[in-house]
Amino acid sequence: MSTQSIESNSEGNQTVQFKVLSDGQCEKILNAALEILERTGVNVHSEEAISLLKAANCDVDGIRVRVPSCLIQKAINTAPSRVVLCDRNGNRKLFLEGNNSYFGPGPTCPNFIDPKTGERRGAIKQDAVDTAIVSNALPNIDFVMSLCMISDHTPELADVHEFHAMLKNTTKPLVGWTFDVTGLQDIVDMCSAVAGSLEELQRNPFVAMYSEPTTPLSHSKDAIDKLLFLSEKNLPVVYTPGMILGGTAPVTIAGALAVGVADNLIGLLLSQLKREGAPFIGAAPGGPLDMKTMQHSYGAPEWMLQHAASTDVYHYLNIPIWSAAGATDSKVVDQQSALESALQIAISAFGGAHLIHDVGFTDLGMTGSLAQLVMCDEIIGMVRRFINGVDIDEAHLAVDVIDQQGPGGQFMCAEHTFKHFKNELWSPTLLDRQSYGDWKNQGEKTMGARVTEKVQKILDEHKPEPLAEDVAKKLDEIVERAQQRVR
Amino acid sequence: MADFNKLADAIFKGDVAEVVATTKVLLNDGATPLEIVNDGLLAGMNIVGPKFKAGEMFVPEVMMSARALGEGMRIVKPMLSASDAVSVGTVVIGTVAGDLHDIGKNLVVMILKSGGFNVIDLGIDVPPEKFVEAVKEHNPQVVGMSALLTTTMAAMKQTLDAMTEAGVREQVKVIIGGAPVTQKYADEIGANGYASDAILAKELCAELIG
Repeated sequence: MSTQSIESNSEGNQTVQFKVLSDGQCEKILNAALEILERTGVNVHSEEAISLLKAANCDVDGIRVRVPSCLIQKAINTAPSRVVLCDRNGNRKLFLEGNNSYFGPGPTCPNFIDPKTGERRGAIKQDAVDTAIVSNALPNIDFVMSLCMISDHTPELADVHEFHAMLKNTTKPLVGWTFDVTGLQDIVDMCSAVAGSLEELQRNPFVAMYSEPTTPLSHSKDAIDKLLFLSEKNLPVVYTPGMILGGTAPVTIAGALAVGVADNLIGLLLSQLKREGAPFIGAAPGGPLDMKTMQHSYGAPEWMLQHAASTDVYHYLNIPIWSAAGATDSKVVDQQSALESALQIAISAFGGAHLIHDVGFTDLGMTGSLAQLVMCDEIIGMVRRFINGVDIDEAHLAVDVIDQQGPGGQFMCAEHTFKHFKNELWSPTLLDRQSYGDWKNQGEKTMGARVTEKVQKILDEHKPEPLAEDVAKKLDEIVERAQQRVR
Repeated sequence: MADFNKLADAIFKGDVAEVVATTKVLLNDGATPLEIVNDGLLAGMNIVGPKFKAGEMFVPEVMMSARALGEGMRIVKPMLSASDAVSVGTVVIGTVAGDLHDIGKNLVVMILKSGGFNVIDLGIDVPPEKFVEAVKEHNPQVVGMSALLTTTMAAMKQTLDAMTEAGVREQVKVIIGGAPVTQKYADEIGANGYASDAILAKELCAELIG
């Protein structure tokens, strides 16, 4: 390629351009959130947090804390604009920066679709194992969450057991949840054992941990303590409210954004007060309360709009962004689940949210499904091709090969096709593009049937890289230590 | 043997330059043209067929392999002696009367040639009598007819009828293909076979010739 160009002032959309809020609108959301924090304030149920906020000159009245805007503005500036998550071997993999989007399952579904029988039942530890194995095998699943809240082990150690299952069955970056700081300590100990030391884990973290305030404007002791624990250790924390529009947040998306951002920014402030520069991942996600069924809908267009708008606000704030997609209200993997998931995945990737979780949710987030996870992997592949956009340069304009073939020519056998088709054309692994006859001869399988087969094939055949025996033993010992504690 | 493997691998990868270079090296090293064809060029194509059927290769890659094989053949073919029977059979092929489409038919031609078949390509818009004449002239084992349009499929039946009338129908096997064509249609008009893609067409020809 020539290093000299004859062209200046070239402009073009290298990729898809998508926003639902302008910068001016994002500023209005931020100002409303700052106003809520100064005027109404938040309830903070953690003594340590109260003393940190007091020392920083917040207006503290019992547990009610009102925050001067300048403190928040400072915290926004000191928080890192990017977080890098590694794989289990310490290779830097997920760059939560710019408009990079990464997908993974969600957490804490009390139910699970049994991959063998298709029956809905309580989630068990094997489901977390299977979720890790299937996620490890899928090319478009970038990080792993457990997709369940298991009930076949000591209930108060579900978090520790799930993390134990995931660490052993995938090398991909992990995002975990815990009940409290004790479980969090177990998880950090397990991760340190895998990394070699806490310092090594801090240098190349392969884990981010999730914590959630009780929206609106209320921050529980457990949520805050987990946040402070992780910030002190300089490990990435996700601290986002789970809002229900018309329930725990205003029914208007703008109102939900304002209160959600306010709650999230309290978390940001505390993380920066605890340790300036601590990695923090934010968002103001939520969805509507269905006014007939009183259920929180994931498939609603307002849910998608709320997440897209939240993504715009956090791009504006330049803080790494949490989001969600691939989650359906449908009880089974069907036409509804495909429709809802496809839209969510497309919109979240168009907006450039960074860590997009909940892939594999069915039943309004109450039931984990490996079939849903596998189907969404295909959708993500399709969407990733789309956001890649149209390459426009000499090679892609193909004027030379058009001239070679001329009128009535064909491009099937052209070297240009051979050279470009793999980068230009996405190739499905589940979608049917056969002729009717071939489809019929191969058993007239529906998408659902093909998805189920793929889940089974992965579970039968995929063998994730195992942990070294001595490391695996250490993890078992940490789980055993936790068992002794709760006994 | 290592160099024959290298040639076969270059065919599989569709690397035209590598096929030409390796073929020349092999000739210099004293390999016979027949060895090059059987152990290198056709051996490479024999990797391609199963991989395509297993869904591990894409059509443009198969075409590039076939093209690479054509380039290799161009070097060694003039050196083959008359006794080196490399042709596995003769196929007369064409797009039927009224139809000007030829991409699919050309793909079949390329793949048949890459499989060692002697192919007589009659081109597009081929009237029934021209098929009949070609059968008389070239004495093929197989006649292939292609159509892309539902409206021109009827010409396949007319061509078969013309062959029956001329008394040449029984001396050949007739196969058909093209986007709207199905096995059911082949059965209806009394063709001997149908294939849905070029690789399957090659296998069908080999099977019919036996």
